Amino acid sequence: MADDAKKKEVLEQLRNGVIQYDEDACKEGATEAIEAGLDANEAIFDGLVSGMEEVGRLFEAQEYFVPEILMCADALYAGLDILKPHCKQMDLGVKGSVVIGTVEGDVHDIGKNLVKMMFDVAGFNVYDLGRDVPLDRFVDEQLKTDSELVCLSAMMTTSMVGMPKVIEKIKEKNPNCMVMIGGAPTSRDLADKWGADGYAEDASNALKEAIKMVAFLKKLRDEKAEKK
Amino acid sequence: MNAEPLKQYLTREGATLVGIGDVTEALSGEILHLNRGIAIAVNRSLNRETVKILSRLQELADEWLRLKGYRSLIIPPDSDRRKDRLITRLYKLFCHKTAATCSGLGWVGKNGLVINRLYGSKLSWATVLTNAPFEPDEPVRESECGDCDLCVTHCPSGAIRGEHWSVTEPKKKIVAYEKCSALKEERQGLKDKPNCGFCVTVCPYSRKSNGQGKMEY
Repeated sequence: MADDAKKKEVLEQLRNGVIQYDEDACKEGATEAIEAGLDANEAIFDGLVSGMEEVGRLFEAQEYFVPEILMCADALYAGLDILKPHCKQMDLGVKGSVVIGTVEGDVHDIGKNLVKMMFDVAGFNVYDLGRDVPLDRFVDEQLKTDSELVCLSAMMTTSMVGMPKVIEKIKEKNPNCMVMIGGAPTSRDLADKWGADGYAEDASNALKEAIKMVAFLKKLRDEKAEKK
Repeated sequence: MNAEPLKQYLTREGATLVGIGDVTEALSGEILHLNRGIAIAVNRSLNRETVKILSRLQELADEWLRLKGYRSLIIPPDSDRRKDRLITRLYKLFCHKTAATCSGLGWVGKNGLVINRLYGSKLSWATVLTNAPFEPDEPVRESECGDCDLCVTHCPSGAIRGEHWSVTEPKKKIVAYEKCSALKEERQGLKDKPNCGFCVTVCPYSRKSNGQGKMEY
């Protein structure tokens, strides 16, 4: 096991690598974490995700804008790619797979990608259908993969109108599946009206929601660890 | 804010041309705060070296701006974009031709490429967007191709339509790119670069440039 000083240093490097969108620093930090025998999950959550939390804060404070967020996300992935193979399966009692995509006619997918990233971080199996996805594919993919979560994103009102249909079809076939919707034209009211379980307005909110979700998972993990 | 120090710095480091454009009108919401485009051009011979030089110049500009406390976003040359990165998605929101024309370094020719009065279409371009409040250069707003139709008549695929570019008609289709790439695929089995390049070599502005500077082939 790595000593505390070394651990702190590596976590700090991962965190700062994300904040300063320095891919090389993240890669280096991740490699060092593995070499020093750090727990990969810990390196991800207390290093990379901790950095992304700060990025979310900087975005809200308008210190960072969309370009910075994307570069931070790229830096996070650079570290995550190295750490992921060393992760132990998180035992959280949830199976964790998610279908995600931007609905038909929509090619804006920044928010979707940020949410996807946080699912990747949390160790979900992510089935990313990409952009401009025909509505039926969400339903098919959910059935095929038996995912417990489906995330739909849209940036334009015209593409959003297809959402309630998808939600209805999914719930009809699989009432336990949760559906999250996101994108500028969506709202809490619409989410409620259409029977969606979650909602995020834009990229920053999606990021915030996803961070909250991951923070929640982390809490579960910590509580579990304490009990042991 | 005077852009001369940055321009001189980049020129010393190997840039053929550097211009500052007010690109406000061409920006989408995500990058609206970065309303100055620094157009950097390097006299090229479509080889790796050119791209390397451009990338280095962009990094130097980026660093220069950051040290002064400004934001910047590097838009890399078209041939140097990593598809696996999220930031790459943003690059499509901005086109090097916009920075080039807004900074007065050229117009979009009938061949669909930026034409500079001295170097024709023999330049490779890269852009750095920034929020530094530089005094912008005078933009080029209309095509200066005039009656010349050499690229139109020499294009082996018939892709060049002979249209004049104007800043007031950004959506006008000047080149039928699908014809260009279809011929390329048919003749060389290639989907990507290199293109045949007749429209570059035949252009009088490009030919005039042959004696100038150092051309590497």
